[in-house]
Amino acid sequence: MSQWPPASVEAREELIEGIAVLTYNALNTESITREVADARAGATAIFIGTTRNSFKGKVVTRLDYQAYSKLAIKTITSIILEAHQKFSRSLHQTPDTLVPPIIRSAVYHRLGTVPVGEPSIVIAVSSPHRKESFQACEYILERIKEDAQIWKREFYEGEKEEDAEWKANTAP
Amino acid sequence: MPSTPTVTVLYFAAASTATGLNSEEIELPTPRPFKLSSLSNLLISRYPGKGLEKVLESSQWSVDAEMVDNPDETVLTGGEEVAVICPVSGG
Repeated sequence: MSQWPPASVEAREELIEGIAVLTYNALNTESITREVADARAGATAIFIGTTRNSFKGKVVTRLDYQAYSKLAIKTITSIILEAHQKFSRSLHQTPDTLVPPIIRSAVYHRLGTVPVGEPSIVIAVSSPHRKESFQACEYILERIKEDAQIWKREFYEGEKEEDAEWKANTAP
Repeated sequence: MPSTPTVTVLYFAAASTATGLNSEEIELPTPRPFKLSSLSNLLISRYPGKGLEKVLESSQWSVDAEMVDNPDETVLTGGEEVAVICPVSGG
């Protein structure tokens, strides 16, 4: 078996509402934030998910991520669109305004080995007012954790590689 | 004689650990079209004692990169890309 599944490839989907990316490269929060920059934005919410160094008292040495990229990128794209639909009314805005309550969303998920302490996911959302970017950013993260076809394996200090645990975000 | 129709089965995460594979070509047994829900038993019989049964119990299927809602009503005729979608853990 090769190190990474052949179906776990880099992927990128750009839409008017934003961008979804799966990459084997380290995530650069600054450049991802620039992807959602907009003169109409008064707020940008950024979530950075990093790999933790412990699990139930065990020392985590590294985490490996893989994705069924073809499907995962579709799922993430539809979650972005879902978020833009869901938060479609701002308390601050009159209904006839031309600026949407969510302007742009960027989702970057890293694949391959992510050393402890480095970002595995970065989500940036821009909006005219702060409330919607906070809400949409959290919504996108939670939906990705539920549905995106991405898997994480944790490796522990002093344990054999084959005992490394495939994680699940929800109990089966 | 026409060749037997096959599907490509992709394995990720715990499913790839159990089978030792990332993917394989599987000949569809008769009767065809073959029910997707029957694929579980076929795969389990190919990898006895590897814990694949438990993995499949908690997994979903995708066919041609679309999640399947009802495997009983989904049939395979050959040429499809089927994937075992284990409980996800992105983020």
